[in-house]
Amino acid sequence: MFKKEKGGWFYMAGLKVEWNDWCPGCGNFGILSAEQQAIQELGLDPKKVVLVSGIGCSGKIPHFIRLPASGVHTLHGRALTFAIGIKLANPSLEVIVNGGDGDQLGIGVGHFVSAGRRNVDLTVIVHNNGVYGLTKGQASPTLKLGVKTKSLPKPNINSDINPIALAISSGYTFVARGYAYDVKHLKEIIKKAIKHKGLAMIDVLQPCPTYNDIHTKEYYDKRVYKLDEDPSWDPIVKKPEEMDDKMSKAILKSMEWGDRIPIGIFYQNELVSTYEQRIAERSPSYLDNPPAHDVIEFEGKPTTDVEDILKERRVT
Amino acid sequence: MRISWMIGGAQGSGVDTSANIFGNAVAASGYYIYGNREYYSNIKGRHSYFNLTISDKPPRSIAQQIEILTSFDAETIFQHFNEVKDVLIYSTEVENTKAEQVQSMEPEITEHVVKFLKEKGYGTTVKDVINYLKKEKGVKVIPIDYMEILKKVADQAKVQLSVADRARNTIAIAASYKLLGLKEQYLINSITRTFRQEVFAKINTIAAQLAMQQIQPMYNLPELPNNEEKINLDGNTAAAIGKIYGGLRFQSYYPITPASDESVFIEAHQTVFTVDPKTGEKRKSTIVVVQAEDELAAINMASGAALTGVRAATATSGPGFSLMVEGMGWAGMNEVPVVITYYIRGGPSTGQPTRTSQADLMFALNAGHGEFPRIVIASGDHVEAFHDGTWALNLAQKYQTPVIHLVDKALANSYSIIPKKTLGMENIRIEKGKIVINTNTPELKRFEITEDGISPFAPLGTARVHYTGDEHDEYGFIAEASENREKMYEKRIKKLMTADKEIPEESRVNVYGNTDSKVAIITWGSPKGAILDAMEELENEGIKPMLIQIRMFSPFPKNLMRKLLNGKEFIIDVESNYFGQAGEVLKLNTGIEPTHYILKWNGRPMMRDEVKEGIKAVVQKGERRVVLHGGA
Repeated sequence: MFKKEKGGWFYMAGLKVEWNDWCPGCGNFGILSAEQQAIQELGLDPKKVVLVSGIGCSGKIPHFIRLPASGVHTLHGRALTFAIGIKLANPSLEVIVNGGDGDQLGIGVGHFVSAGRRNVDLTVIVHNNGVYGLTKGQASPTLKLGVKTKSLPKPNINSDINPIALAISSGYTFVARGYAYDVKHLKEIIKKAIKHKGLAMIDVLQPCPTYNDIHTKEYYDKRVYKLDEDPSWDPIVKKPEEMDDKMSKAILKSMEWGDRIPIGIFYQNELVSTYEQRIAERSPSYLDNPPAHDVIEFEGKPTTDVEDILKERRVT
Repeated sequence: MRISWMIGGAQGSGVDTSANIFGNAVAASGYYIYGNREYYSNIKGRHSYFNLTISDKPPRSIAQQIEILTSFDAETIFQHFNEVKDVLIYSTEVENTKAEQVQSMEPEITEHVVKFLKEKGYGTTVKDVINYLKKEKGVKVIPIDYMEILKKVADQAKVQLSVADRARNTIAIAASYKLLGLKEQYLINSITRTFRQEVFAKINTIAAQLAMQQIQPMYNLPELPNNEEKINLDGNTAAAIGKIYGGLRFQSYYPITPASDESVFIEAHQTVFTVDPKTGEKRKSTIVVVQAEDELAAINMASGAALTGVRAATATSGPGFSLMVEGMGWAGMNEVPVVITYYIRGGPSTGQPTRTSQADLMFALNAGHGEFPRIVIASGDHVEAFHDGTWALNLAQKYQTPVIHLVDKALANSYSIIPKKTLGMENIRIEKGKIVINTNTPELKRFEITEDGISPFAPLGTARVHYTGDEHDEYGFIAEASENREKMYEKRIKKLMTADKEIPEESRVNVYGNTDSKVAIITWGSPKGAILDAMEELENEGIKPMLIQIRMFSPFPKNLMRKLLNGKEFIIDVESNYFGQAGEVLKLNTGIEPTHYILKWNGRPMMRDEVKEGIKAVVQKGERRVVLHGGA
């Protein structure tokens, strides 16, 4: 059943999308399913979940999710900045950011890097397909030098950004990679990312069947392997002195690309304080009485006491 | 009664602090102050100065011609000697310094000074300037041997001379303070309140006492009754306190002159108390202040916070606002109650970071692609800046749209000492508009088409709500169909019509002076004070105009403006830009054009004496366009 009044293409009462405007075979379907299942399996109250997205095909995720979660579809490259405002004003919300590689690593790369310094408790999902899909397939920041995808007039003239290494060196405290067509594995990573206390980034390898004829499903299917299948792989920092070593190993591992492409958790460190904790250290009431729950007026009269502040300005 | 006083010195030599110490001491004697800070975009070494007016009732401006100039360096004398009327205090150490030797002085200024002195038949040393002032202008000059005093300070306080040297500026203010004839103790009190560290309190106190011993009072100002609580309020602080009182709980910003002081002040006071109106119990609250990576992030963080129902704002200046345009468009499309406190400095580009301007009015009114409603208000004095802090937050939530609060640099970096009661805090109200909390509707029509254009707002976390920068349906889902586009587009714009209907036009304009006059002056922002003070002085000369100060530019109070300007012979537009932008906005909204202009764009605030001459030039000589040049 298609309910027009629910907003165009959207069908919410059941758990079935009748139609959405991603291309058939798009990796976004896998990411959407994994995200949705992760939220459900974690038992999160959808009302408290906010999906924040950027611009591009991935940006439409909040419109297509089949859970009654809120959605904030923002500007190209800026999803993280809105997400930080939402989360810090109301830390009880679960905020998940979605954006493409062009969105978060191109136009929004400044925000992507700066977010690492703050370690706000958010989950960031990078839909990494190597192209700008919605504008017909230009090269994105993760496309390697010399690679020529379908609609490029000439091979890519730029080198690529390594999202995993960039996130780790920027200060992200949970860094992982998933694959859009391994929904089960991706879902488990998303669950861990949401539960992680701090800023989590998942780089999701996502075929674009329309514009990326190199990094196809067939390409990835035979190359990806799971890090957790190796019993010696331990990405979690348990003591401060392990940090440098685990970070270096994760960055080194992120260089692996070719016949074998690792997916799974590269790095996790919960020893770093979150931005929310840092605010609470300065203003101890913050977590008990965050901005969104504060009562600022009573019958129209301000309740904020500024007498002490005015006293500082007093001239005697 | 008005006395103008100025101190100058190199940036970083404590000019600002000493001007505040001086002002507070004078205020303790029952007087009121208005002062302005001028400085280069520089950390240390460039010439900065503080110009202030002392009066028995609150002054609203500074003057170009000053009674007292106090100095401890050569550049201050070269830059300002032509502005002194009564007294110059100077350091004997710099007597032989030539204008050409002052490296920090810009070549243009040196050239002017040298040319002027040569034409008058003088050499180019400080001593020559002193002689010129004595002989040709009748200015009293007071030499001070700073080194001698500083040596005594070092000796008495048992500190090294290099430490005592930091009291140089205090000597300059103390000497000039003594001229006024006010109680010495007030200055000492002001010093000890400012310097918390014992050693600095001590050296500055000794320095002040020694300096005052050398000076004979000249003005013999009587002590006035001082029985009401007074506060010292600059524009940045006024807006900050207004926002805090108005319930601001989130502020994001990127450092920029002259806006950052506001955000830094809020961060320093981020833990505030809210009082439970029933029990009187105090509860701690937190204002989250985030220093963002750029202004793109700053406005979007504020918008994100605003979606949770929190009163959120950012503060910036022209270059930062240029970057915020993208985010403001999103806020317009998504009907986000976000406030931008916009401190105007000189543009374009980096322009003049530390100098004033009113050239961004049109930009604030028009920035962003597409059409969306925005509310633009402008403060004309420090009390208004305080009120507008709350007003902007109210308007944003009530009309669910971005609100731009304009404060020009001349207001931001000047201060008033005023009775606390003039803040009128008892009249301040918080209005939140159509906020729905604890809704049982699982899904909210966040963009419901309504008669007044305003839809119910549910904070994120209380209901399912959707936002998108794309055109959307009533639920906030992307919709490109034409009929929805027409309706949704119009719904947004309608909010501006609603605001126009609901906000009394009388609250969007301040009218002063003689409403029957044939002369109407229109202005906005900081020039208001200089015009009001000039009008007071013009009364004796038989010129009694009306002043209309525009407080809100969007929606524009067009009916009231038409009524007020009906039948005026002179409509004089006074503002700090080249094109007369407020005049343009007036024309656009009412078809009425200013007949005359008094404009200034050199980056210095409008001063009452030059404005007075400007008004006379228009009214008496019929000059169409007067350009003001005051200020070093």
